[in-house]
Amino acid sequence: MNEENLSILALIMNASVLVQAVMVILLVASVMSWVMIVQRGLFLNNAQTSFKLFEDTFWSGIDLADYYHELTEKAKEVGVTDGIENVFRAGFREFSRLSQSDKADPDAVMEGTDRAMRVALSREDEKLSINLPFLASVASVSPYIGLFGTVWGIMNSFRGLAMVQQATLATVAPGISEALIATAMGLFAAIPAVIAYNRYAAKVEALNSSYETFSDEFSSILHRQVHSR
Amino acid sequence: MRDSLSYGIGILFSLTVHGLVLWALVIGWQPMTQQIVIQPQYIEAKLVQLAPKKKAVNKPKKPANNAAQKKREKQKRLENEKRKEQARKERRRKAEDDRKEQERLTAEKRALAEKERLEEAERQRQLIETEFADAIAAEQSLINAQEDEIAANSYRQLIQRRLSENWNRPPSARREMETTIRLQLVPTGRIVGVTVLKSSGDTAFDRSVEQAAFKVDQFIELQSMSPVLFEKKFRQVDVAFSPQDLRL
Repeated sequence: MNEENLSILALIMNASVLVQAVMVILLVASVMSWVMIVQRGLFLNNAQTSFKLFEDTFWSGIDLADYYHELTEKAKEVGVTDGIENVFRAGFREFSRLSQSDKADPDAVMEGTDRAMRVALSREDEKLSINLPFLASVASVSPYIGLFGTVWGIMNSFRGLAMVQQATLATVAPGISEALIATAMGLFAAIPAVIAYNRYAAKVEALNSSYETFSDEFSSILHRQVHSR
Repeated sequence: MRDSLSYGIGILFSLTVHGLVLWALVIGWQPMTQQIVIQPQYIEAKLVQLAPKKKAVNKPKKPANNAAQKKREKQKRLENEKRKEQARKERRRKAEDDRKEQERLTAEKRALAEKERLEEAERQRQLIETEFADAIAAEQSLINAQEDEIAANSYRQLIQRRLSENWNRPPSARREMETTIRLQLVPTGRIVGVTVLKSSGDTAFDRSVEQAAFKVDQFIELQSMSPVLFEKKFRQVDVAFSPQDLRL
């Protein structure tokens, strides 16, 4: 009677090459998706708090030109800035440049400012939703990959069953068990990815709409200023 | 840069989570199976100690004091003999009344004490009764366990008999060989799994033991067993086979 070790490690080690490959893929996908989950979580939280901070300062009645200079100084120091302040800076820069030329038509000034802000907005949107497609792919594909490994493993164990004369449950059971590990791993990778994707997609949506709202408000302020001259 | 920092945190967290999951799987995969150790049955005699009932002892009442009567007679005589000592007699009567009052009070006190003692005795008796009931309950559960054990033993003997009837020893069997198998049973009495726990070293011998279990296939009598007992003792049964006898 051969010693049958049914520990999960032994099952993985004894699995066929294809099933092992599937397992490795799933493990890598799971590790990467967790990296994304944590990184995105930190990034989005950061974006939310900085947006709140920016809005508080913006509506506190501060002089906009001073605030613009302050933010530009900060941006020069740090190097890269994210979030709503980029939109603000792009709009304000464009506005001041256009309105400095004397023969500027107010409508043209507003048009240029809006365009600059729209560009900055779409850049920020891209930054927010980076990596989210990866999470979505892991969430939807990894159960299938796991299923593929399982089907392949079960196929093999049934083929093995056909070869032996005396078929018992014990001949197929280890094969099926090892094959099912692949499905388990697929689900293990998929479930957190699904949850994180849904959560982060909602967050990105909310942030985007608040960015847009802000840019509209800012645009209306500038509009008032241009036309009151 | 902030991005690389957050990625670093992410990588660290992810690796930690996966490491933990792997560790948990490797450590905690094998579930513990409980081995049934079959021991000879002893008759356990247990002494149930019961404290003897305490009897409330009623002390006899003290004989009534008849000093009063004597006094009264003496007083009569005094009245007859000396009418002059009216004042003194008056005084004495008064003293007599006082003493009577005193006696009445002491009698009352004594009655109260008596009542208290009776109540105390009653409480004691109730306490003893509850202790007695507890002891009876404990005794009953012990008896139940013993009955279970007896029933289990009879089923064990049945399993042993069936297996030995269906066991064909191979020619290679030797006296010192021993194979232990584990039978997995379901409540219908059917054998759903046979695993060799301890091999004898001889494949033919091991196979013969397994074949015996397969031939038996079902212990119909196990259906009459109480489900609790089955779950407790007969979900998994380990049987040791060796040529001089078959023992459970």
